[in-house]
Amino acid sequence: MKLHFLPAFALTFLTVLSIPVSAAIEDSVLRVNSTLQSYSPSQPWEKTSPQKLRGLGALLSGNRVLTTAQMVADQIYLELESADSTQSVPAKVIAVDYDANLALLAPIGESGFLSKMVPAEVSPPSKPGDSVDIVQLEDNGSSQTTSGSIRSLELLSTFVSGRYFLCYEVKASMQTEGNSFTLPAYRDGKFCGLLTSYNSKDQICDILSSDIISAFLKDAEDGEYQGFPSMGVGFTTTEDPNFRKWLQIPADQGGLYINRVLPTSSANAAGMTKGDVLLSIGGHPIDRKGYFQHPDYGPLYWTHLVKGSRKVGENVEVEVLREGKIKNLDLLLRKSGERLLASHLYGQAPPFLIKGGLVFQELSLPYLKAFGKDWATRAPMNLLEILSNPEDFEEGRRRVVVLTRVIPTQATIGYERMSNQVVESVNGQPVRGLPELEKALAQTPENGLHKIETDDIPYRIYLDQILTESVDQQFKTSGLPSLSRSYSVE
Amino acid sequence: MRFFLLPALLVILILPSLGQFLDPAAAPAAPVTVYDSVVRIEVSTQTLDYRTPWNSGRFSGGIGTGFLIGQNRFLTNAHVVSDARRVLITKRGSSQKHPARVIHIAHDCDLALLEVEQFAPFSQLPHLEFGGMPKLESEVSAIGYPVGGDRLSVTRGVVSRIDFRPYSHSRADSHLVIQIDAAINPGNSGGPVVQDGKVMGVAFQGLTQADNTGYIIPMPVVSRFLKDVEDGEYDHYVDIGVSTFPLFNPAMRKAYQLEADGKGVLVTRVVPESQCDGVLERGDILLSIDGHGIDSAGNINVGGEFLDMNEVVERKFAGDEVAFTFLRTGKKKDAKVTLKAFAASRIYAMKYGVTPRFSVYSGLVFQPLDFNLFATYKFENRNLRKLYEEYISEGVFEKRKDIVVLTRVESDQLTSHLSGFTGMVVEKVNDVEIVSLKQLHDILHQKNAPEFLKIEFDGGSRPLVIPSVDAAKAHPRIMAQVGISREAQLD
Repeated sequence: MKLHFLPAFALTFLTVLSIPVSAAIEDSVLRVNSTLQSYSPSQPWEKTSPQKLRGLGALLSGNRVLTTAQMVADQIYLELESADSTQSVPAKVIAVDYDANLALLAPIGESGFLSKMVPAEVSPPSKPGDSVDIVQLEDNGSSQTTSGSIRSLELLSTFVSGRYFLCYEVKASMQTEGNSFTLPAYRDGKFCGLLTSYNSKDQICDILSSDIISAFLKDAEDGEYQGFPSMGVGFTTTEDPNFRKWLQIPADQGGLYINRVLPTSSANAAGMTKGDVLLSIGGHPIDRKGYFQHPDYGPLYWTHLVKGSRKVGENVEVEVLREGKIKNLDLLLRKSGERLLASHLYGQAPPFLIKGGLVFQELSLPYLKAFGKDWATRAPMNLLEILSNPEDFEEGRRRVVVLTRVIPTQATIGYERMSNQVVESVNGQPVRGLPELEKALAQTPENGLHKIETDDIPYRIYLDQILTESVDQQFKTSGLPSLSRSYSVE
Repeated sequence: MRFFLLPALLVILILPSLGQFLDPAAAPAAPVTVYDSVVRIEVSTQTLDYRTPWNSGRFSGGIGTGFLIGQNRFLTNAHVVSDARRVLITKRGSSQKHPARVIHIAHDCDLALLEVEQFAPFSQLPHLEFGGMPKLESEVSAIGYPVGGDRLSVTRGVVSRIDFRPYSHSRADSHLVIQIDAAINPGNSGGPVVQDGKVMGVAFQGLTQADNTGYIIPMPVVSRFLKDVEDGEYDHYVDIGVSTFPLFNPAMRKAYQLEADGKGVLVTRVVPESQCDGVLERGDILLSIDGHGIDSAGNINVGGEFLDMNEVVERKFAGDEVAFTFLRTGKKKDAKVTLKAFAASRIYAMKYGVTPRFSVYSGLVFQPLDFNLFATYKFENRNLRKLYEEYISEGVFEKRKDIVVLTRVESDQLTSHLSGFTGMVVEKVNDVEIVSLKQLHDILHQKNAPEFLKIEFDGGSRPLVIPSVDAAKAHPRIMAQVGISREAQLD
């Protein structure tokens, strides 16, 4: 009889183990399903084939759900689904920050199953050594919790390349459960971060920190999301002792060499110039590699002093070394200004114009990246040049308009081989952006010929206005949904 | 304008590889005496290394073919005897090796003339006669010493195409070629291709992606070379330095007030300092060249032959004239231009037998940018690539004779923190704009140097600075440590 009892005991034991660590955690975890569809980089009037993404989110107070921006970038349909997949409600984005990789969602209409869930509280900042619980959902709706401890805090770029935000590096051994790596993490039962990636070899998770999440949520509270501030400078390190000697940096100082100040930036407004050495921000000295000592987190990359610990509109004192003398500057933090080249096009339909078969687009980083894995060397040289030295093209332009390709038509005979030429002017008017190009082409040109000037051979081409209009009519009847997509400018 | 880089899809036929051997008996078309004038050329080469230009480079060698065309004059390919340290010629049916030397070498059309030290053993051999252009579909025989055996080989093929094609030896030139369907193999290079006992061209290259495709240098190119060297010197091909754009589009024609007669081509770029600079300008419409009417695509018709207008210039020599008629703002104009070789454009051509230029100072190695350097380092820096691409077309060469690149930083305590600078173009040294290697060298070695040596780079994120005193001290130390025997090669 004893033999009979033992297996039953073992079963009970297993059941106990599978009960979640904290009941409150799984009550705030739900599924986010999205369908994403972006525009084709080379034929922007079309969309690429749709892609489905499944991830998780955390329910916060006020029926709001937090997930990564990755989950909603270029979304055409969003829904929130219960953990057991039995109920769902359509959702919308109320705030999104692609740089920080965060998105705040809300149900459209009825809140449905959400009302039965328990919203999570956002945890206060965590420190190295703190233990976090990462939640995954299995197909059957039960939750899997993996615990790990924060090994360090680091600035990582989790979605848009080159945008670094405070993250936890957590050592944990996880199993892959179907859904993409957007997993909520909790500390002491409170929501403390979103896991964005997991390296199974090293068993390290990257988790967006609650510092950044709290700042994002606070910003989004009034319904008008602003975004994180930026100083707007280019810089390089000062480890080279000879370089330091030349810059007259005292041995006990660190410092970063400023090699570019963006014209519309906070730094420029405060009088920072190329050649300055950035010594400290808000009283935190920056070392020669660019790190400062955070009282709780240890060494962190300096950009956290701006993007992550301060808001737009806040003032901060910045100490620079100029020609051997220390200068204090008062910086009014702004959001990073509009760049000549958009670094991403998430959430926006890229503008374009087709005229008689000539295709015009605004140059963006995604357009360059569409040239393939080796885009940095394979994309056209004249376009890469703009990426390398945008300051040479900023004058007279908001965006760079490119004649990206030529569709063979009656109006474009002889122009078929032209592609990726930078448009300088149209009908004698400089082209600041696509709306200006559209306006210039809407006018009746001299001699009935539109004149388009570009940066490459043959430098100037003409389009017959009447012929162009009839070609455009043919395009409309032959299946092109639209011949332009633009935006308005003041 | 033919200033562009070519993918290396053409194989030069001196490289060793597997080949086929054809029985000479199967090709009786050529008389036996022709065979005797075809010689085997054995070459030992020394190829200098652009990574360590102060070193002696790599020693190797190869086999090619040549043929007797006159009193102690053997014709072969330039690539057979490029970078040669020793050239030996062997007669058919003999094992004796006769020392020879290169008299003229033309890398832009891949031809060279050799002579032997002692001509006596060859004096009884017939000088091969030249023919003209073979007809399409006619049969020719390639004679030479390709791989697969030691004795003479003859291959028969049919002329399948006559075209204007890249010559892979220099990587920067295109001329007329004849394509034949015979398997021309490594070792065939420099050998004659004959028809009815007359030379129709010189076998020179094949194609990697296709079987049975051989290319030969036709007589117009060979004759031009021989005529060019008559004065004792090779003057290179000439180029008018003009880019054109076809005028097919009716709107374009209307804007330039042209009739719809399919005539005239648009001038879009005139290379600065080229022969046409100041004569033609952007927006001109070229109507004729040497009396041949130019169509809207830039082609001409010469005696029933349909050619690119550049082919007129192709057949001319430095010092010859070329006449244009053109329209400028609706007015008809005439111009005559004296042609000359355009040395700056050779930046895009592979160099042979030239000691690479460089200057080393305090562990920093500077080299002028050219095709060889680019091929060695495969630079990725965008500013560098742009300067290279626009060196001629945008007239970069007018200001910068050399595009000076920091290619290496040798290890030393002084240079240990100088990472990220290699592969960048030197813009200024001590606030002076750098326009040549020589000038850079002089500034680096000048007396009364400022406190810091400061080097700025095109698109660099910061200047490279070293206290001048330390740099001067480190210079001999690093030379000795790294084993750099010479500090510079300036010309």
